[in-house]
Amino acid sequence: MRRVGILIAVSLLVLTVRNLHAQTALSSFDISPAAHHTQVKLFLSAGTVKTGDTILAGVDLKMESGWHTYWKNPGAAGQATEIKWQLPPGVTAGEIQWPLPKKLPPAEVTTYGYDDEVMLLVPLTLASNLPAGPIDLKANVSWLECKEVCIPASQDVEVKLNIGGETKNSADATKIEDWKGKVPLTNTNGFSVKAWWEKSSTNDLRPLVFEFGPTVLIVTFTYDEPDFFPEANDKFEVESATEKLDSWDLRKLVKKYSGDWPKEISGVFTIERSGKKIAFEVNLPIAEEAPAGETISAQTQPENSTGEVPALPLMLLYAFIGGLILNVMPCVLPVIALKILGFVSEAKSSPRRVRALGGIYAVGVLFSFLVMAAIVIGVKAAGHQAGWGMQFGSPIFIVCLTTLVTLVALNLFGVFEVTLGGKTLDAAGNLAARHGASGAFFNGVLATTLATPCTAPFLAPALGFAFSQSAATIIFIFLTVGLGLASPYVLLSWNPAWLKFLSKPGAWMEKFKIAMGFPMLATVVWLYSVAGSSYGKNVLWLGVFLIVVALAAWIFGEFVQRGRKHKTAAAIVALILLGGGYAIALEKELDWRNAMPEADATGSLKESADGIDWQRWSPEAVASARAAGKIILVDFTADWCLTCQVNKKTSIEISSVRQKLKDLNAVALLADYTHFLGAITTELNRYNRAGVPLVLVYPKKAESEPIVLPEVLTPGIVLAALDRAAH
Amino acid sequence: MKTTLVLLTVLTLAASAFAVEVGKPAPDFTGTDINGKTVKLSDFKGKIVVIESYNSDCPYDANHYKTGAMQETQKDLAAKGVVWLLVDSVNPKNFSHRTPDQARQEFADLKMTATAWIDDSAGTIGHLYDMKTTPHMFVIGKDGTLVYDGAIDNQPDPVHDPRAARNYVKKAVGDLLAGKPVEVSQTKPYGCSVKYAD
Repeated sequence: MRRVGILIAVSLLVLTVRNLHAQTALSSFDISPAAHHTQVKLFLSAGTVKTGDTILAGVDLKMESGWHTYWKNPGAAGQATEIKWQLPPGVTAGEIQWPLPKKLPPAEVTTYGYDDEVMLLVPLTLASNLPAGPIDLKANVSWLECKEVCIPASQDVEVKLNIGGETKNSADATKIEDWKGKVPLTNTNGFSVKAWWEKSSTNDLRPLVFEFGPTVLIVTFTYDEPDFFPEANDKFEVESATEKLDSWDLRKLVKKYSGDWPKEISGVFTIERSGKKIAFEVNLPIAEEAPAGETISAQTQPENSTGEVPALPLMLLYAFIGGLILNVMPCVLPVIALKILGFVSEAKSSPRRVRALGGIYAVGVLFSFLVMAAIVIGVKAAGHQAGWGMQFGSPIFIVCLTTLVTLVALNLFGVFEVTLGGKTLDAAGNLAARHGASGAFFNGVLATTLATPCTAPFLAPALGFAFSQSAATIIFIFLTVGLGLASPYVLLSWNPAWLKFLSKPGAWMEKFKIAMGFPMLATVVWLYSVAGSSYGKNVLWLGVFLIVVALAAWIFGEFVQRGRKHKTAAAIVALILLGGGYAIALEKELDWRNAMPEADATGSLKESADGIDWQRWSPEAVASARAAGKIILVDFTADWCLTCQVNKKTSIEISSVRQKLKDLNAVALLADYTHFLGAITTELNRYNRAGVPLVLVYPKKAESEPIVLPEVLTPGIVLAALDRAAH
Repeated sequence: MKTTLVLLTVLTLAASAFAVEVGKPAPDFTGTDINGKTVKLSDFKGKIVVIESYNSDCPYDANHYKTGAMQETQKDLAAKGVVWLLVDSVNPKNFSHRTPDQARQEFADLKMTATAWIDDSAGTIGHLYDMKTTPHMFVIGKDGTLVYDGAIDNQPDPVHDPRAARNYVKKAVGDLLAGKPVEVSQTKPYGCSVKYAD
């Protein structure tokens, strides 16, 4: 017996074990009070009590340093403390109210319990017919205390209570009240918690997701340290490890011992708000799957949260719906005018021809999408970053497109005609001919080209998904977007009867055609302003060039196409104008192939004196603002992104949002994607986006994930997100 | 990246879930017993094996041995050809750790009839079987399949005579010997936490 010295020093329990005989009586196992490491005392909230009242008894356990006792569910090991009351007749004890426990290490065998001190509270109710005078309240408290070893212990406690005419607080009432504050609330107090199985399980472990938040979303809270302490259950165990999915969801693993998977779950839900723990009891039904709406919010989860990889069929559906919605996004609207015109002019053609033209339009769209997919794949293969609408980052592309759209507008105004197949058309020319096969194809290409700077609801996740996939998937998704974009027209062309409400072709069409030129002019102005961000003040020379082009087009239309004499001379003049305009305005003055993007400057990007104090976005700017504990609003935008501009005008650069940002002392960062900066592409990809718009709101707490706002904003969405982020 | 993460999560889950799963082959291990002999689980193929995570300083274990109930179970099952392996995963710095000498003494004092007391002070077997408590019991069938994982009985307290309780291990072995499916194959283990090294 080499260990005798240590044994005496440490524990009587061990002695009993080492010296035991096979049939030792149970009584020899009792531990004398001196041997245990927890001191127990009984307190009452009142010294004198009126009959019929209920008071609180506090069983106070004070543990020596390093020792702990257990909660009602001890967790993976241990045992809950028990209180056995010996009360005089007329006094009844209620259930123990347990203060919120701590998770006790080690991680592989986590237990729930208390170190240092805990007071277990028990309501005692006094019958109304109790005689006045002193009574004795006694209890036997038994517990398991553990440090390196575990010791079961018990102790008798007692206290005197005076039954009198009125209830008077005792000296210990404050202490009891303090501990009462640590007992989880029995109502959820404006919070809602939901639970559902994340997926089915083939073994005895299954992930359970909790979602929590205020019942009313207007309430401005952020939550930290969300956790769930389960009630004990024989049939299953909720493992102690908690995985935070985002600021509103957490995941727990449930281990099943027997029977079916539970249909409901009870325990204590806890969160921290500005350093103060809030805990409340919950008894929740467990849904078999995530509630509807949850999956939609999941699509905007950043990659580092543990979302599922989106399935291809779902993404294809999104791509199709996204393509469909593109038709009503601001960038494509001018093209709709062209299409309506096309349908009107075809109204009296044979159905077969209408169908053919609808098909050719679709082919034009699909062809353009195929070309874009090829470019994206090529750029990716070359090791560069690719993004939706990236051609709009090229000033050369912008200049060409501006010129092209100017010509489309002039054509609609009747300044000149487009001749096809060598067939010259007179002024009252057959519109149908102009909207022949080539015209339909061209419309398809133009619609696609103008559509690319927009992302739309549904389109954003689909494209974000596509850009991270194989070449075949990219092509597949792009073509599906194209199908979505073209489908309304294809459908219309197959059912021309739907267009019957339109008037018969006639003189009004010439006027309508001219009217449709104005949306095109608006597109020109927009493209011109985009070019301005690349060329600065020099963009003036692009304007000069456009006027020269317009003049050449007029000469061409008036004197070459419709003129009778000096056609060659007129053609030469038009060519000289074009050549000269190109050489002087574009090459010499604008130096259009060597655009200098605006130098990165720091400082405010305020748009007006009382506007939002935008700072330039950079990962470092985000990091330093987060370190300073600030809420951050990030607007990923681009001059060529009309959706972004619309969002800004209607929902961001507005007085209520300005005021909210000021009130919250929030930082506003502007990430300008006009020139397709690589750092921004990287950031967009993190949120599974291939393009702008993307608006993020970072909550105050540095480790919480940013809130991803939808593609199309309303003031309410922005304000609610800022509220959610604030505290 | 995302795929990798998901895969990793799945693999981790799989590792923790399948390492010890009732109905699956019990993972093999090799250990050294307190007499310096090598003990290999797969050497006992063809026999029923009971594994007990052990720490007699834990009042729950102590109750089972002090009352003699555990020794009776061991003796009873040994007579039926069942192998009984004690796994002691207490780390060497813990007070409850036993050197081989102390362990041999304790083995004799307690009149155990276990097949072997394996020194697992590194916690290898404990972690492999995800042993949570002492006592945490496992029963492995003759074909090497894990058929029971959980508590010794349905009486999670350190004071009452275990003979009055429903002994899940005895029941599982009984079912196996009778050629019946094991009725209760999984329960929540109770007791003290296993004193693993940090």
